[in-house]
Amino acid sequence: MKVANSYLALAAAILAIVFSGSGHAGGTSARYLARGSLQAKIQYCSDCHGISGGGYLGYFPIPRLAGQTTEYFENQLRAFVERRREAYAAMPMSKVHGLSPGLQTALAAHFSQLNPAPLGEAPKRLRETGKDIYEQGIPDDNVPACQVCHGSEASGTRGIPRLAGQLYPYTVKELMNWDRERGQGVADTSAVMRPIAHSLTKSQVEAVAAYLSDLE
Amino acid sequence: MEAASSRHPIWKDHSPSRAPTEAGGLKVSASKLTLQTALLAVCLAAAGRAEATNASDPALHAKIQYCTDCHQPSGQGYLGATPIPRLAGQQSEYFKNQLQAFIDRRRVNFFMFKVAHSLSPEMLTALADHFKDLNPKPLGGAPAELVEAGKKIFAEGVPAANVPSCSTCHGPEAKGNGQFPRLAGQLYPYIIKVLTNWDKERGQGGPEHPDTSAIMKPIAHNLNESQIEAVAAYLSDLE
Repeated sequence: MKVANSYLALAAAILAIVFSGSGHAGGTSARYLARGSLQAKIQYCSDCHGISGGGYLGYFPIPRLAGQTTEYFENQLRAFVERRREAYAAMPMSKVHGLSPGLQTALAAHFSQLNPAPLGEAPKRLRETGKDIYEQGIPDDNVPACQVCHGSEASGTRGIPRLAGQLYPYTVKELMNWDRERGQGVADTSAVMRPIAHSLTKSQVEAVAAYLSDLE
Repeated sequence: MEAASSRHPIWKDHSPSRAPTEAGGLKVSASKLTLQTALLAVCLAAAGRAEATNASDPALHAKIQYCTDCHQPSGQGYLGATPIPRLAGQQSEYFKNQLQAFIDRRRVNFFMFKVAHSLSPEMLTALADHFKDLNPKPLGGAPAELVEAGKKIFAEGVPAANVPSCSTCHGPEAKGNGQFPRLAGQLYPYIIKVLTNWDKERGQGGPEHPDTSAIMKPIAHNLNESQIEAVAAYLSDLE
């Protein structure tokens, strides 16, 4: 009797431990996150965009989301959903139509507060030229100063994106391919950048991108 | 125009196209050649005039695009990191005065000095002519509750503070006249910034370089913050 009781007690204890573990709703393991929850979505975004939203140099450059302005962030998600922005080399982005407006806002708020160090890794020799272009433009080449809209520290404001710390190859790709990606079929807030992207030569784009990739 | 090779291959080269001549029968090609030569002569003559103000001049076209990159194609202005003012419908004399003031550093603005410095006198005139005829809707966005007070200040001034009626010089519809700027439809935060910072930006040439902006100095000083905001709100909605 005594032995059976102690076995029972042991079994009960083990069962208690196992079942108490599954009671934690906010566990970090993916298996414990409710489907469609914000935490699950954040994890899904972070799978590619980096655990702190710092971006990632995958086969394609995956952009930094950390510190992005919420208005711009939400505009871009909506642009993907409405196909005003083509998911060029970014197949998962064409699937974002599953995000509800509430979830878009919550994701924007989440990423806007992150601030990891920039990935860097751009050619250092270009940064000086890039800084000049960013701050003063090139009047003789009809290139405007980026900081007039994006701010002196490239932190953006309202619908104008933060550029500080953005991945070098990503910025280059965006500026060189503006028309292929943005403003597809419908007039879009991205139209503002179109003539500017056109005015820049490839080496100017690379210089500015290199400068921005190091900014905190 | 020559830098086409250094530009991205996908984008259009903005230089004027030169249609290649095509060899045909002798008679046809002779008259074609005459036509080609005549056209070439006209083109070269036009190019020979430095900084031509011809609306089809590629250099002017490029400069207008450059201005509108920030000030917008309609000249409406833009809320960037700093408010970028409306140029549409601006008085051409005022427009040219301001660009010249930037060049002479009588008006201090980091970006505009660089921009203005690259402009020839003929280009100033051509740009002023381009923008004066544009007429987009105002950007708006100012607090609506301030407009009524602003309208009163614009029409009557603030006699107790020795602020004259703005309409006296700027016109009853704030369209301006000659060297007095149009204010109608100007950006709300831009007007506030300019009136609040008058001394820091304008009249920087010192006593040996008197400046048309001097007339606004006491007026800007005598307006208080809420009066500036009210008048700016009123003006920002005017068409």
